[in-house]
Amino acid sequence: MTERVEYWVKIPFGPIHPGLEEPEKFILTLDGEKIIDVDVKLGYNLRGIQWIALRRNYIQIMYLAERMCGICSFSHNHTYTRAVEEAGGIEVPERAEYIRVIIGELERIHSHLLNLGVLAHDIGYDTLLHLTWLAREKVMDTLEAVSGNRVNYSMVTIGGVRRDIDEKKRRIILDMIKYYREVFPQIEEAFLHDPTIEARFRDTAVISKRVALEQGAVGPTGRGSGIRDDARWSERLGVYPDLGIKPVMPQDVTGERPRGDVFDRMAVRIGELYQSLELIEHALDGMPDGKIKAFPKDNVLYAKLRLMVDGEGIGRYEAPRGELVHYVRGKKGSDKPLRWKPREPTFPNLFSVAKGVIGDQVADFVVAVASIDPCLSCTDRVAVIEDGKRKVLTEKDLLKESIRKTREINPEIKGDPTPVGASCSR
Amino acid sequence: MNDNPVNETNEVKEPTKIEKVAETIAERFPEAQVEVKTNRWKRQRVWVRIPREKYRELMDFIKKLDGEAHYSIGIEQDWGDELGFLSHLVVHYKAAPAVSLIVDVHAPKDDPVIPDISDIFPIALQFEREGMEMVGIDFENAPDKRRLFLPDDFPEGIYPLRLDDKGVPDEMVKNAGHPYYLKGGARK
Amino acid sequence: MPMDAVTGLVYPVAGLLGLYAFVSLVSLIWEGIDRKLVARMQRRIGPPILQPLYDFLKLSSKETIIPSTANYMFRVAPVLALATAIALLAYTPMGFTPILASRGDVIVFIYLLTLISFFKIVGAISSGNPYAKIGAAREATVMVSREPAMMLAIFTIMWRLGKLGVPKPFSMGIFYTHNIWEIGTPMSFVGAVILLYVFCVWLASEIEVGFFNIPDAEEEIAEGLLVEYSGRYLALLKLTNSIKAFISASLVVAIFFPWGVSGYLNLTGFSADVVNLFFHALKVFALLFAVQSVFRAVTGRLKITQAVDFLWKNVFLASLVGSLLIAMEVIM
Repeated sequence: MTERVEYWVKIPFGPIHPGLEEPEKFILTLDGEKIIDVDVKLGYNLRGIQWIALRRNYIQIMYLAERMCGICSFSHNHTYTRAVEEAGGIEVPERAEYIRVIIGELERIHSHLLNLGVLAHDIGYDTLLHLTWLAREKVMDTLEAVSGNRVNYSMVTIGGVRRDIDEKKRRIILDMIKYYREVFPQIEEAFLHDPTIEARFRDTAVISKRVALEQGAVGPTGRGSGIRDDARWSERLGVYPDLGIKPVMPQDVTGERPRGDVFDRMAVRIGELYQSLELIEHALDGMPDGKIKAFPKDNVLYAKLRLMVDGEGIGRYEAPRGELVHYVRGKKGSDKPLRWKPREPTFPNLFSVAKGVIGDQVADFVVAVASIDPCLSCTDRVAVIEDGKRKVLTEKDLLKESIRKTREINPEIKGDPTPVGASCSR
Repeated sequence: MNDNPVNETNEVKEPTKIEKVAETIAERFPEAQVEVKTNRWKRQRVWVRIPREKYRELMDFIKKLDGEAHYSIGIEQDWGDELGFLSHLVVHYKAAPAVSLIVDVHAPKDDPVIPDISDIFPIALQFEREGMEMVGIDFENAPDKRRLFLPDDFPEGIYPLRLDDKGVPDEMVKNAGHPYYLKGGARK
Repeated sequence: MPMDAVTGLVYPVAGLLGLYAFVSLVSLIWEGIDRKLVARMQRRIGPPILQPLYDFLKLSSKETIIPSTANYMFRVAPVLALATAIALLAYTPMGFTPILASRGDVIVFIYLLTLISFFKIVGAISSGNPYAKIGAAREATVMVSREPAMMLAIFTIMWRLGKLGVPKPFSMGIFYTHNIWEIGTPMSFVGAVILLYVFCVWLASEIEVGFFNIPDAEEEIAEGLLVEYSGRYLALLKLTNSIKAFISASLVVAIFFPWGVSGYLNLTGFSADVVNLFFHALKVFALLFAVQSVFRAVTGRLKITQAVDFLWKNVFLASLVGSLLIAMEVIM
């Protein structure tokens, strides 16, 4: 062993790398093409969200939570809302619960389709990437029609949802379901029965059940390794039990027992695509009439939250990537939470896959990282503040620089670049 | 979901498995404050507050209670005169409502030492690394005390999420909040 | 004597330069057509057909950054690779007997073809980038795995065609006097079909598409061999790659589909060569459409171990069987 150590080479994989969608650094120790060790360094995407949250009130944090990450924006907002509702003992109307399910499952469909495309892209199978993302456009359009936005839906509010799903939106969603009933079998065929995909994904980056348990793998990563858990199911969240939720395991899709490889994680996602369609259908059928918010106006909500939130609350929800946990602690009389901490599914999954990929080849690394569907910007949400010693350009400096450059190029330019509008103070 | 007014409360109710777990822990650790709280959609959670001397023992006990216990989050926080580390665990999740267990442990600020549990739940190490850099809890015997999120040149002795004077001083903060409206905006 | 100098030196050099200009243009245009076709298969619009040409011109005018860890081979390698590719044109059958065809020039052809890869490897290693080194290691591994199958097949074909009686055995011009389908026996026909498969896979691995996009794997090792190259050197390497793709495809076309159209048009001499050259380019496009465009649209990339396994256990074996079938009735 000691003699071979000198042939080992450490290479940085990231922070910027074409195989990673977001900046994150892995230090790989390689023996030729074989991975000996993986060290994870997080923090290239720190925006200081928890620190900022110490200076925001409950309602402002909803928007902050939503902007942690584009893809799982609903999940963060939803889970944060659940935590506040638990801490404050706020009740949610039943219709709102159904709407939450519908938006959550639409988001799951778009997130899973995105990940399937990324997986195909990472093995150079760009045709599948483009076709999957073409199929994804339909759900994005549906989300836009339902919520008004493709990405940050802002559908959830504390104590309910902001917008109702009326007959017209309902028809759009039913239309989408009809479209996907035709498309999903094609996607399943392409991903589960393609020899290249099978060759690359089978027995790649195997996370054994033991490692998955040790590292707390969640979501498709955990289920792919045989951990039968789904936060929507085990939490008995909202109306999910009535809609017939159950964890999708790889054996439900492939018919084989779970091996914990990339293929199984992918199979779980494909199974969940179908499950999401069913859940949306059931939710549309079972949706009762009634209110959609506990408090009609945000100023009422603001005043109520000041009085109601006293103590701690935990929100748990199954985001597309796995179990998402938010913790909120508040005090009566304050409009700000004393502590808010989210934990994203990528955090434990990243460490699971870093263990799982050891012994595989460099070629597998990118696929392995993609297979947990990493959302690194979610993971890096913790506080950071510019060090006084270092010269760091903030948005203001950059704006100033760009104004200077514009004036340099064209001194005749007219118009005032200073933005207008009120804002939060520190 | 409180629209089905159940009168189960009047009947003699079979203790749920959540209550059973709470009982087991309360029996085994008399010094712990164990509480079962129910939220508005009838979800029960077990909140355990444990002195730090017994923290490792409790975690070990939970691991023995369910070998597949899932450590889902570790939350470091500043309680004013104490630092706290709160863990959320999911136990007995083979059948539907899983037991949601919250373990809280505190340490005084002048001696912020909490035992490390990463040999029991390996993933806890990463949350502990976060706790070490963010509020400055010292996890005794943690195998990896490097920083996780913060850059390596971040000054020592400053913990961003501390609410006291060890938190981030004002002079370190540059343009936090809205960038345009601080100190005169972009024109200045 | 002056006449000899003209025929012996000026004509070949002029021909080579003409070929170089033609092949550079055509291969870059093919690159554009390929990108467009693949884009359409993926339901994208795709870049304009002349995009690789624009890219080439743009790259030539851009700043060239040399990493501080690089040594002089980093700068020399792209030039040498292109020079090798140009030299290779003189030995490539492109619808007519190659300019410098001589007895045994197939060895020169294979030698020069591998030399291009070799220079790319040397350049990548000299850059000092770990990703480039991984790419170089992969390129070398794939190279030693793909060439034996091709060499075995081409030598067998040459030898077998030589038995039919040719003035210069083992020359690249041989395909325009006899071709593989003329051997005539059913066995040899089956053998030829198997060898066509071998050559198609070899071609795909030579131009690194589909399964074999391993040394340049963008998502894995950030373009591998090319990672540190920029500006003019990148332009040279891209051009070399395009020319190499054209040359490799030309070999397969010459072996299996050597027929020209000049005979039907009653052309002779220079004009016949020009017509054949254009027709040859069309054949190359057709072959590359199957081997490059379609192949890369319907597959992903393999791991290096899987690719090596495939090249030895499948392709080399097929090459062995095909060669035996072709050579059989002469041996027995």
